[in-house]
Amino acid sequence: MYCVKCGVKLQDGAESCPLCGTPVWRPCENESARECYPSLYPERPHNERIPAVAFITVVLCAVCLSCLIACLRTYGSAAWSAYVMMGIAVFYVIFFLPQWFRRYHPMIFVPVSFAAVCLFLLFICLNTGGKWFWSFALPCVALLGVITTGTIAIYRYVRKKRLLITGFLLIAIGGCSMLLELFQHLTFGSVMFTWSLYPVAAFGIFGLFLILADMIPPLRSHLEKKFFL
Amino acid sequence: MSRQWMPLDNAALIFPAIRRSTWVNTFRMAVTMPDDIDPVLLQRAVNDLRPRFPSIYVRLGAGLFWYFLEAVREPPKVRPDYAYPLTHMGGGELRVCCFRVLYYKRRMAVEFFHSLTDGTGGMIFIKTLAARYVDLRYGVRVPPEKGVLDIGKPPLPSELEDSFQRCSGEFAMSRAEENAWRLRGTPEPAGFLHQITGLADTDDLVRAAHAHNATVTAFVCAVMAQAIIGMQADEVPLKRQKPVKITIPVNLRNLFGGDTLRNFALVINPGVDPRLGSYTLDELCREFTHQMAVEITPQKMAARVAANVKPQNKAAMRLAPLFLKNMAMRMIYTFVGESKGCLNISNLGRVELPEAMQPFIKRFEFIIGVQYSYPNNCSIASCGEVTCISMIRNIEEPELERRFFSSLVELGVPIEIESNLKREA
Repeated sequence: MYCVKCGVKLQDGAESCPLCGTPVWRPCENESARECYPSLYPERPHNERIPAVAFITVVLCAVCLSCLIACLRTYGSAAWSAYVMMGIAVFYVIFFLPQWFRRYHPMIFVPVSFAAVCLFLLFICLNTGGKWFWSFALPCVALLGVITTGTIAIYRYVRKKRLLITGFLLIAIGGCSMLLELFQHLTFGSVMFTWSLYPVAAFGIFGLFLILADMIPPLRSHLEKKFFL
Repeated sequence: MSRQWMPLDNAALIFPAIRRSTWVNTFRMAVTMPDDIDPVLLQRAVNDLRPRFPSIYVRLGAGLFWYFLEAVREPPKVRPDYAYPLTHMGGGELRVCCFRVLYYKRRMAVEFFHSLTDGTGGMIFIKTLAARYVDLRYGVRVPPEKGVLDIGKPPLPSELEDSFQRCSGEFAMSRAEENAWRLRGTPEPAGFLHQITGLADTDDLVRAAHAHNATVTAFVCAVMAQAIIGMQADEVPLKRQKPVKITIPVNLRNLFGGDTLRNFALVINPGVDPRLGSYTLDELCREFTHQMAVEITPQKMAARVAANVKPQNKAAMRLAPLFLKNMAMRMIYTFVGESKGCLNISNLGRVELPEAMQPFIKRFEFIIGVQYSYPNNCSIASCGEVTCISMIRNIEEPELERRFFSSLVELGVPIEIESNLKREA
């Protein structure tokens, strides 16, 4: 049998051409396909990192427990060991929690990491009787989290116009530094817009340069030539 | 008693470093026999070959500074084949044995982790395995000739050497060259690989190649390049197009001699730039023939080898911990190694068999796995009158295969197509 579209000879009993998908007319209906491979599929590869991550988890739990016991015996309360345990928990969420999974899903783990940092800061704020969490720490961490997650999402799912996107991202990052200073002003009463002007200028100039480079093809190809790896 | 071990050869160093949890660089050799394979006899043949191939019967181990290969505790168990070739060889499997022996109906296949050997070494191994199997199954003694080794003799030291160190030149050639266009498609989930094998009459293929004043490799590269140029033209406007280049492994044994059974091949990336104008098939054949002739000289290949060997021998590189080396090699490979070609075309050439063995080998297949970042690969092996052109892909669309095989048919090379069917797992 031959494929009427590609002109290649097909296996006996083939139902369609593997190249173009054109259905095959078979004069002998009872002819069965000759199979090149069996129908046995391999088991999905398991996550090879699990033993190492499990070991690290046990070690970190042991460290937390030791700190807690030492602290309880010395001070009769969790005191400093609570900070150590929370710190280790944040570290674990950021670096080791994703290792339990076969693939790293940044759109899930990055926001989770920022949420863990937020909780840690809330704990410190409540424990020290501070009033800086809701007006400063939370907006700052949330802003950084949104920018980081957004950047990852854009680079992951948008394949075109990356130079242009990077330019706008840099300008946005510069603009965010002004927002951070605004939060600082609202919380601590510091002078408005002093240090944030430097990142705004630096990121802004570099971002504008990238946008220009994207819009001027000769400049873009010159840069590609100079910096290609 | 400690087991025999050996460091990885220069080309092999990269493969453990760049492997991912879902991808590893492997290739497959398969022979088809007249009758169904007897797994018990195949296992005996596998066991019998062990003393003759100490560089193949190894597992991958990790030291503080380098990976190493260590003799396996026992030969691998033969097992039934899977629904697709080159299923993932995970770290756990590599730590036990770096190759596997599979059987399905009349076919026996060996899949190698690329750190063990290259196509030539793999071909010698499977020829010797098939010869031993023929002896056990049919009682026909195959003489040790034409790539079949005498399993009664000990291995020669030259078969175990890292030949790259011997042929490395004084001057290291820069790896810098322009990136090639990257083929894309809808990724297949769960690691499934589509294999489409085009069976051609060897004489037809050689005749078509000679009609264009090219070798078979140059001719196949030209036809493939024409297919890729067409695909790029359909997807990308001319001013944003990139060069179309084919990665071709070169067997360095032909240039520098030696009979090592370990890796001794290096790649070149000939190609054309579609932005310069359109190319006829004759022009493409001429381009590939000339570029290959210019690149494949002992001097240039020695300089290319030096670019890989010199960093390996530097004190700073030697002293760097393994994880740092892995990170560096993975980065270099991602940016430099895989971006210079659209796909590999690995031509094993005409596979010669001892006369006593010829009635028992119906077909010889050679399949290379896909690379991490480009979805198609092609390998060719000729045995007797049949040439197997195996194309493998990890994407759904068979567009490249369709264009390539249709072109061959139009050029007067009748092609018979076989493929593995994807079923629900």
